[in-house]
Amino acid sequence: MTVQVAPPAVGAAQDLQAAGQRQSRWLVVAEQECRDLWTSGRGLILLFLFSVLLSGITYLTSTNQALNFLEQRESVNLVLQFAVAVGVLATLVVSADGISGERERGTLETLLVTPVPRRSIIGGKLVAALSLWFATFLVSIPYVWVLARGVGILGAALALGFCVGTLVAVGLGSIGLLISGASNSNKTSIAASLFLLLILFAPSQLPSGLPQGWFFEVLLRANPVASGLAYISSILVEGHGWTQDLALLITPLLTAIVAGGALLIAGPRLVRLTRGVNAG
Amino acid sequence: MRVVLLIALLVGALTWLSAPALAAAPLSVRVVNEPAHVETVLGGRFMITTEITNAGAAPSGEILAHLNIASIEGSVYVDPEDWSPNRSQQLSLQPGESQKLTWEIQAVNAGHFAAYVAVMPFGDKLAGEEALVISPLVAVDVATKSTLTAGGALPVVVTVPLLLGLAASGVFFRGHRRGSDR
Repeated sequence: MTVQVAPPAVGAAQDLQAAGQRQSRWLVVAEQECRDLWTSGRGLILLFLFSVLLSGITYLTSTNQALNFLEQRESVNLVLQFAVAVGVLATLVVSADGISGERERGTLETLLVTPVPRRSIIGGKLVAALSLWFATFLVSIPYVWVLARGVGILGAALALGFCVGTLVAVGLGSIGLLISGASNSNKTSIAASLFLLLILFAPSQLPSGLPQGWFFEVLLRANPVASGLAYISSILVEGHGWTQDLALLITPLLTAIVAGGALLIAGPRLVRLTRGVNAG
Repeated sequence: MRVVLLIALLVGALTWLSAPALAAAPLSVRVVNEPAHVETVLGGRFMITTEITNAGAAPSGEILAHLNIASIEGSVYVDPEDWSPNRSQQLSLQPGESQKLTWEIQAVNAGHFAAYVAVMPFGDKLAGEEALVISPLVAVDVATKSTLTAGGALPVVVTVPLLLGLAASGVFFRGHRRGSDR
């Protein structure tokens, strides 16, 4: 087995070692990963692009003269769903790069020689990926405020977006890390994750006029993204109570628990060097 | 004799079977709405109370009160479901008895509208020609309330990407400069 790795970043490894003794080790990994994500500009560029898209949607919605009161609730729903979708996408992509990316860049060996348990590495990486979702949510707050302040659903919209988005992001972030750990190449990992996301978003693109029988209902409820978004719509647009459609949150919750649990159990075995991976 | 008896029995049975339809007396209820005039703004919630009184000498049986809303300008499309999700209420009244029904309404279009309540017999044994009892109209004037304007959204739409773009380019160029220094 030939494993080529880049020259170890001694400074970073020592930093990790020293810091690891002081704080929770997963927190050290999370801090390091977040620093890498945010100070490299990757995270900020993604947020900038996201804000441009959100600005476009918000402006188009605001200039629509035919918008009546109920449709304004729908525009809040649209912006919130878009924020959740993009936030989850970003989390999935970052987590899909988490382990396979380190392998390909040849930095995983450096990380493995630090006195940080592999489970902490996984935990830290998940938290760093989730930071992108939290940032996406923060950026979407002013847009939701602009649209929701007139219809009195600002608090509900933000609380809903945060709870549902976090639940879905934890589930899909965990799945992304599992895929990343199991993939030999970063391209495979990211392609598989994006394909998964595409499958999960597909039901939301079906024309709403189609007759929706039991099969559609099963499809909706089995899908953590679609059912999470349907829960948001049921409260914001249809005016249902928070507990009325709570069953829609079962799949996102189960996904978070099952994928998070699988990550916790199988994670240490996934964070390893694999055959034939070249250093970048 | 036997044939005559059979015919008489048959006629009697048919008469008995069709008795409810033929004997369905016209509804003698009185319907009054309150208030008669509502002024609100777009998105405003208000309530209409309808008092239904059985003015007849017989019990009303099962009756249905149904709220409807119509635009009196003609140019505004009205979907009454949007105005009030619960537009039907079922009741039955004894002679002289009256009952107050409340309707929660939200104004979802701007303009001039009329709300009214139609009372009709309820059940699956309707002949199809029963008369309705209609309440007097409630005039509903809804003023526009522009909560969503391009001007209102513009500061956020421009400022957020601008700030994030500046931050991203600042971080990017700082990293680029560091890379060049090395």
